[in-house]
Amino acid sequence: MIADTTFPRPTVMAATLAFAVLLIMAVPLISSRAQVGPTPAGQVTAPTANKPPAPASDGRPAESVEADVSTRAVAVTSSFTGTEIIVFGTVEHSRQPTPESGYYDVAVIVDGTPTPIIARRKSNVAGIWINAESLRFEKVPSYYAIASTRPIEEVAEPQILDQNRIGFDSIHMKVAEQQSQMAPANLAEFRRAVIRLKQKEQLYQKSDYGVAFIGRSLFRSTISLPANVPVGPLITHTYLFRDGKLLSKHTNNVVLRREGLERYLHSFAFDYPLLYGIFAVLTAVAAGLIASTLFKRGSH
Amino acid sequence: MDFYLPIAEMSANIFIFLGMGAAVGFLSGMFGVGGGFLMTPLLIFSGIPAAVAVGTEAAQIVASSVSGAIAQYRRRNVDFKMGFVLLIGGIAGSMIGVQVVRILRQIGQFELFVSLSYVTFLGIIGTLMMIEALNTMRKTRGGKQVSARRPGQHSWIHGLPFKMRFHRSKLYISAIPPLLIGAFVGFLSAIMGVGGGFVMVPAMIYLLRVPTNVVVGTSLFQIVFVTAATTIMHAKQNQTVDIVLAMLLMIGGVIGAQFGAVAGEKLKGEQLRALLAGLVLLVCIRIAYGLVVTPNELFSLGSVFGGH
Repeated sequence: MIADTTFPRPTVMAATLAFAVLLIMAVPLISSRAQVGPTPAGQVTAPTANKPPAPASDGRPAESVEADVSTRAVAVTSSFTGTEIIVFGTVEHSRQPTPESGYYDVAVIVDGTPTPIIARRKSNVAGIWINAESLRFEKVPSYYAIASTRPIEEVAEPQILDQNRIGFDSIHMKVAEQQSQMAPANLAEFRRAVIRLKQKEQLYQKSDYGVAFIGRSLFRSTISLPANVPVGPLITHTYLFRDGKLLSKHTNNVVLRREGLERYLHSFAFDYPLLYGIFAVLTAVAAGLIASTLFKRGSH
Repeated sequence: MDFYLPIAEMSANIFIFLGMGAAVGFLSGMFGVGGGFLMTPLLIFSGIPAAVAVGTEAAQIVASSVSGAIAQYRRRNVDFKMGFVLLIGGIAGSMIGVQVVRILRQIGQFELFVSLSYVTFLGIIGTLMMIEALNTMRKTRGGKQVSARRPGQHSWIHGLPFKMRFHRSKLYISAIPPLLIGAFVGFLSAIMGVGGGFVMVPAMIYLLRVPTNVVVGTSLFQIVFVTAATTIMHAKQNQTVDIVLAMLLMIGGVIGAQFGAVAGEKLKGEQLRALLAGLVLLVCIRIAYGLVVTPNELFSLGSVFGGH
């Protein structure tokens, strides 16, 4: 009788034990994925952007980052000479004792629309410098600014930076398919040239100490948009790191819009090119006639 | 004061471009030339994309030529029949030129092509003008009378078919040479951002033997219409006409031209031509230097066209 009741006990216990073991093994797996583990697609590590992650194992609520931008819509008008936007945010459940403690690292990235471009290299042909070799990129960010609490390569491992496209070395540049067989060294040289030229135009910017904590949890960063910033949507990404681990991420959008006379002329030129051309000629004729009546003398 | 140029897509100090317009206007008023061959390289040197410089300059030439053309018309110095023949050729040449600009931009060779064209034409014209001006100066110093027009000689041009009578020019010649000259000048206008007077005037005098009093008026007539057509085609095909930039250059240009015309009256014809030749050669050398000197940066970035 007793045997009847005790006999299945080991099987039940074994099953319970196996379930518990599975559970213990699975929990760290899930939580580690939630913290730093990259998803197979190599995308953002935080489970879903802009949502606080699950509580950490030590019981204290995990830190997360929230951010916003001072200007959500920037107007590119005829008097546009560039502007600055401020990206600011807080670390939820901050554990750092003082703003200066360097407990967290924050990186702010402002990313422009990816556009196709061609990079060309001049070669000396018969004494004249001529564009010879060229490489077409399907997609290169038209604008890329990064600001961080300290040099970004000190903040985290290259692998983590690459996965999140943080830093100049990790900017995503998609080479046109028909040219992907170019030698890697050559490709790397073209890549560096694109970054160098974009930097010269102030379209790629890096500020190693551009993010500052002004409270235990509050931080801010100033990003400058030069006059030649390509018009289009911008995305700001704010990343929170601690000890080289990516804890959380937040995304915001900024819209760059042509406005006023500038917008009118640009859409006139591109949407009604023929009318625009005729308008340009009529303007020129009028200007010439006004000038000749004003000065009562032809220049010829 | 800064202003955002809508097509060049850059912020520019308006006084720089007003000043540039005035400086070139002064020279063009002084020498009686359009000034496109000076303005386009200046715009390119100052960072305006070459294609935008060429397209915009076409619009500015319309403005600077139109008043001159009207003044010539009032003095009855325009041979309309000759002008129309040149114009038909000119528009055809300009259409080809605008397409050539589009193709060269796509393959990234437009800057090179513009530079080579400038070096070639400025080099040839500058040298010829310099030789001619120096010879005239030497002869006048020797006290000899110089006649501008040489006696009419019969050349291969007179053997061509499709002869037409040009009353105003007192000519009976084939329509083919003026058509070709017009086409060539229209082509240059589209690819170099010039009016083309520096080719048209000598070609009319030396090849067609048009009387000098009709040459300037007729070439101005043709330049106004061809550059107008070129402006419209550049705007339509390449979207490279920056009207804000063109306005700045026009305003500076017309003011500068007034002072230039006054300054020009104080100099003799051959002195003016020698000065102009020197200027042309300087621009030529500057562009040639840019082609030969090892650039600091071998790489450049370009947009991908055709995917609007």
